[in-house]
Amino acid sequence: MENMIYVENLRKEFKKIIKEPGIKGSVKALFKPKKEIVKAVDGISFEVPKGEILGFLGPNGAGKSTVIKMLTGILMPTSGMCRINGKIPQEDRKNYVREIGVVFGQRTQLWWDLALRETYAVLKEIYQVPDEQYKKRMEFLNEVLELDSFITSPVRTLSLGQRMRADIAASLLHSPKVLFLDEPTIGLDVVVKENIRNAIRKINAEEGTTVILTTHDLSDIEQLCERIVMIDKGKKVFDGAISELKHNFGDIRTLNFELVNAPDFKLLDYKRRFKLSDADISAERDKGSVKVRFDTAKVSVEDIISYTLSTVHVKDLNIKDVEIEEIIKKLYRQEVSI
Amino acid sequence: MRYIRLHRIFISQYLKKLMEYKTDFLLGAIGLLFTQILQIMFLGIIFSQIPALIGWSFDEILFIYGFSLIPKFIDHLFTDNLWMVGYRIIRKGEFDKYLTRPINTLYHVIAENFCVDAFGEALTCILLLAYSIPRLNMPFHWYTIPLWIIVTVFATLIYTSLKIMTSAISFWTKASGHITHMLYMANDFSKYPVSIYNKFVQTVITYILPFAFTAYYPASYFLTGKDPLFCIGGTVIAGTVLFTLALFIWNRGLNAYESAGS
Repeated sequence: MENMIYVENLRKEFKKIIKEPGIKGSVKALFKPKKEIVKAVDGISFEVPKGEILGFLGPNGAGKSTVIKMLTGILMPTSGMCRINGKIPQEDRKNYVREIGVVFGQRTQLWWDLALRETYAVLKEIYQVPDEQYKKRMEFLNEVLELDSFITSPVRTLSLGQRMRADIAASLLHSPKVLFLDEPTIGLDVVVKENIRNAIRKINAEEGTTVILTTHDLSDIEQLCERIVMIDKGKKVFDGAISELKHNFGDIRTLNFELVNAPDFKLLDYKRRFKLSDADISAERDKGSVKVRFDTAKVSVEDIISYTLSTVHVKDLNIKDVEIEEIIKKLYRQEVSI
Repeated sequence: MRYIRLHRIFISQYLKKLMEYKTDFLLGAIGLLFTQILQIMFLGIIFSQIPALIGWSFDEILFIYGFSLIPKFIDHLFTDNLWMVGYRIIRKGEFDKYLTRPINTLYHVIAENFCVDAFGEALTCILLLAYSIPRLNMPFHWYTIPLWIIVTVFATLIYTSLKIMTSAISFWTKASGHITHMLYMANDFSKYPVSIYNKFVQTVITYILPFAFTAYYPASYFLTGKDPLFCIGGTVIAGTVLFTLALFIWNRGLNAYESAGS
């Protein structure tokens, strides 16, 4: 399939002035600035086929937003290039943005003082959506995002969940081919999150919209994305299907033992017994049970079970498959590398 | 044209917004009226003490003063949002929004806001001109009015361009509101005949920050009919050059824009 998004060796550097603490430091920086170059994005390449929902992950400060801002034409890359929908955002900005939608979860794009409906009327003019199409589009967005109950309210009075739905609708008004969602579920409750995920799924399925989604909520990723790109410190650390990620980390298992006597927990010392570090094995007490997480490359399931059974009385046990959240937590803490 | 249609929509939305905060609007309007009345009274006091100023009569000075307010109030009315670029929009990363829309960023920023305060200046302006013009014996030809309109356009461009330039500095420095403010204060020089200043100030407001072309030079042409090439042509050239430069700086600034963390 053809690629909708094409990113090659993208880099963004910022100049930062280093200040010593205090007013003295600030004054000194004014006259003798010490400059440092921060590589926010350090040579990232990836491609996204048409119609895919790509999860874009990374810890805070990894450079996710900087990448999104370069892809949406807001920032100028220091070097490298991106081509989306056959256009280079920085070269042909006005024509390029006509066919993309952008939502920054942290910041609204709507006019604060206007009724939501008026905001859409202004956007209709900005994007030159014909009347007929606009009417149909509003009906569709209303249905998917349930805007009816607050469409006449001023934007400033909307709740966060309503505002996010309104913002997403605003980004879709002109039927974009590519949709950039930067943390669209941040700070929302479960019901609204679900509502927003459904809307994204529906738009992707019905219109074949390519979606790039950044989020810290891994259920967003698990429910929406087939594939993820993960970055850290401006570099790509993983690019592939979620199943592949799970497969790569499939050797990390969790065993759950329910103890007959909860205080027996202190008798168990997996680290010492198997002479392993925190990264390879960890045990956690949860009420009457013990959760042991370990790397099967270092110690076998059998050894863990036999050690536990020989040390304490066990009422019940179960084995859990690796969860994406665990892998990502580890990746963020840099306990493993791919 | 598409941008004119858009502008109409922005204005109507702005008025709706104004009505949304009725008390604020009402109090603002009352305050404005008071400021303008005081300003006119103040002018009356000053000028009643000065019967003539280096060859300019009292009425002529009032005309120059009134004339200087025309481009000022038009610029104030339409491009007030540029102030926010230097003070807030860039520093807070709010500029992202404009860059993701398929219209010219400069136009979008400018169109988004109107400053009804400017009608206060318009009021003073009209009063001063209405008082002074009938008392003056100004040359009048068929081309006086078209010329006046052309001068108004380019004089406004001088104001707006200087504001665009100083606001665009914040693409590099993150904030430049105070630079704009400083520059804006310099326009006070344009209200009085240039000949009252020393050579240095004259040079600055003629060739560097050409505020003199927004008022004194064109006004003196309309008063005397002398030096049309310098007085009118100068305004047109200054407006064109500055606007070209402003667009250039703004576009360079867009590439330097660094947004803000989110």
